[in-house]
Amino acid sequence: MKVIKVDPEKCTQCHTCDLWCGIEIGSEVKELNDAIHEKPQPVPRVHVEGNNFPLHCRHCEVAPCIDACPNGTMRRDPGTGLVYVNEPTCIACWMCVMVCPFGIIAPSPLIHVAVKCDRCRNMEYPICVDVCPTKALVLEEREEGTTWYGYAPKRSY
Amino acid sequence: MDFVQRKTADSAVDHFLKEAAEKEVPLVWDRYEGSLPQCGFCETGLNCRDCLQGPCISHPFRDQNKVGICGKDKDILGVHSFVRLVVQGVMGYLDQLADFAKGVEAGKGSPKRKQEAIKIIKDVRGMWGDGDTEVMRKFPKALIDGWKATGVYPDGIASALFKVSQKLDGGVGNVEETLLWAFKGALMGCTAQMLQGRLKASVFGDTAPTNVEVNLGVFPKDTPVILLYGHFSPLLKQKIADRAKGKKIKVMGVCTDPFIPPYSFTPVTNYGSQEIPLMTGAVDLIVAGDQCVNPSLTELAKAWKVEIVSTEILNRGDLDTFAKEIVEKAQEAFKARGEVSRDIPSIKESAVMGFSVKDIDVNKVVKAVADGKIKGIAILAGCNNVKFTQDHEIVSLARELLKKDVFCISEGCASVGLAKYGLLNPKQRDASCGKGLSALLSSLGKNVPAVVDLGSCENSGVTDFLISMASAGKKPIKEFPMVACFPEANRTKAVARATWTVAMGIPTYFWPFLPVTGSQKTIEALGRFCEEKFGARLHVVTQKMEYKEKAELLIKSLGRT
Repeated sequence: MKVIKVDPEKCTQCHTCDLWCGIEIGSEVKELNDAIHEKPQPVPRVHVEGNNFPLHCRHCEVAPCIDACPNGTMRRDPGTGLVYVNEPTCIACWMCVMVCPFGIIAPSPLIHVAVKCDRCRNMEYPICVDVCPTKALVLEEREEGTTWYGYAPKRSY
Repeated sequence: MDFVQRKTADSAVDHFLKEAAEKEVPLVWDRYEGSLPQCGFCETGLNCRDCLQGPCISHPFRDQNKVGICGKDKDILGVHSFVRLVVQGVMGYLDQLADFAKGVEAGKGSPKRKQEAIKIIKDVRGMWGDGDTEVMRKFPKALIDGWKATGVYPDGIASALFKVSQKLDGGVGNVEETLLWAFKGALMGCTAQMLQGRLKASVFGDTAPTNVEVNLGVFPKDTPVILLYGHFSPLLKQKIADRAKGKKIKVMGVCTDPFIPPYSFTPVTNYGSQEIPLMTGAVDLIVAGDQCVNPSLTELAKAWKVEIVSTEILNRGDLDTFAKEIVEKAQEAFKARGEVSRDIPSIKESAVMGFSVKDIDVNKVVKAVADGKIKGIAILAGCNNVKFTQDHEIVSLARELLKKDVFCISEGCASVGLAKYGLLNPKQRDASCGKGLSALLSSLGKNVPAVVDLGSCENSGVTDFLISMASAGKKPIKEFPMVACFPEANRTKAVARATWTVAMGIPTYFWPFLPVTGSQKTIEALGRFCEEKFGARLHVVTQKMEYKEKAELLIKSLGRT
């Protein structure tokens, strides 16, 4: 399974990734200068905060959001292993928002749907990786059974 | 990210692109591709580097962090981004004038019309001082009164430039107020350009319409060539030409004023392809100023064994000695560069350039507008921008406008771009113009091409044309069906230029869009607010458009009165 790897040494907090995520994924028009004036405002799925680290969905091997979702809206793509929100069935209970260990799932400001990064699963290449000027973001194969973050909850909790 | 777009419309340039790719010589297009994606915050004007607490950005998609550390919000960031460009552009014009005037004052030239030159120098001093200049009184009184009432009349360098530049430092001015300061600065640039043109005429004599050949085919095969790049003191240019005379040395130019009477420096190419002349191998020495010169020339020149002499150095010394050194260097370089082969494409086009307002019967133009023979007047300006296929936008736009009976005047590098495609060649005039326009142009003279070049950006041909239109038509400039267009703009000077054009009441289109799009208020101020104050808008068009749509937009703007 391919996921986005972040190198905090290379990240300069330039916010290019979340700007482009807002344009490409969040907006209707897909053009920066028009997306800015779009209402409702586009919601980027990436957050760059504090410590040189863009926060994406890690697509946890054992994903608490999938476990917490009461009606199966939060799903894993069987082909790619990517976790995504099936928007039509979301009931806006925000359980996923509460349990996400990385805090990357957010309620949409206008419609009652949880919004999160799906690693651009319908695109050839994630937009944030494509635009990162310092190559702090790269797309890499994740080894089975390992995590980069170390504290993904085990299924037996 | 890949950059998928035809690079240039110029076949002479195209000829060298393949060679550059084979030799792995990076050109402007490669560097542009390497810089993609460009910073979105800078592109939209939502960034600021004006102090050391920053840099700040205002995220357009987030509710938090919308103001800079000092409290500049999106709108102030947007308008400041505009002011920054205008200030830098205006300084370009002031620098050109200051350098030239200083030389004349020091008695380095021998002015043809001495009394006039002395008067203009006095005017220049007035411009630095309290802004009281003879030259600004040439504008219609109503326009000046309007500027004074709004407060944008340039009253000396202290208030029209220093104060404008300090708007970037802080203060509590709102978007509209700050924008007006930018207009004040821009009008200062306009004064400087007018004085520069007049000073040039008084020192060297008037420029007459001249037959020139443009594009890379003009290079000679067997004589030394000095290539002048960018803007620097016209006195130095004259001295170089003086020294080169009778020595079988050709002096040509790129992005520089082609006419210093009695000399003319053949425009070899325009801004977008300014690196290409080196690749012909036919350049023996480059004399480069600062303005409009790409730093990339240094590396390219090394590869083609060409020396570059910078004119803007500390302790330049005496101009005469400097010019003598330059010419000697060129002769030596020619001998030493014997083994470098010359690859000169046989592509060139003849053109008539360097009209000034006295060469055109403005009354006939005014009458043609009044009788509805022509739809209006379009001002084409700006150079090249790598974001567009070189020359494609401006040339196809001009062709479209000409077909639809719009009288086109051009200035500066835009003229060179148009000249490369025969639009400044009187022989090709009738093929490209509509009937009404064709009749007007032939009544203006046999030698008048489809697009009338009103001189380089170092003189104010277009402004003088507008002033005489107003006096011939006995109505304000803003009541004529006129539009200005910068289809491939690039330099900050073009932004200043567009700003003062709006101040005169001419709707102006600027491509690519100005970096103010992050602020809705700034866009509105450039539109609606400017319309109220000056009678014209500076349009910020973000939608992608084909040239035909652009031409329609321009023609629609003509019919606004």
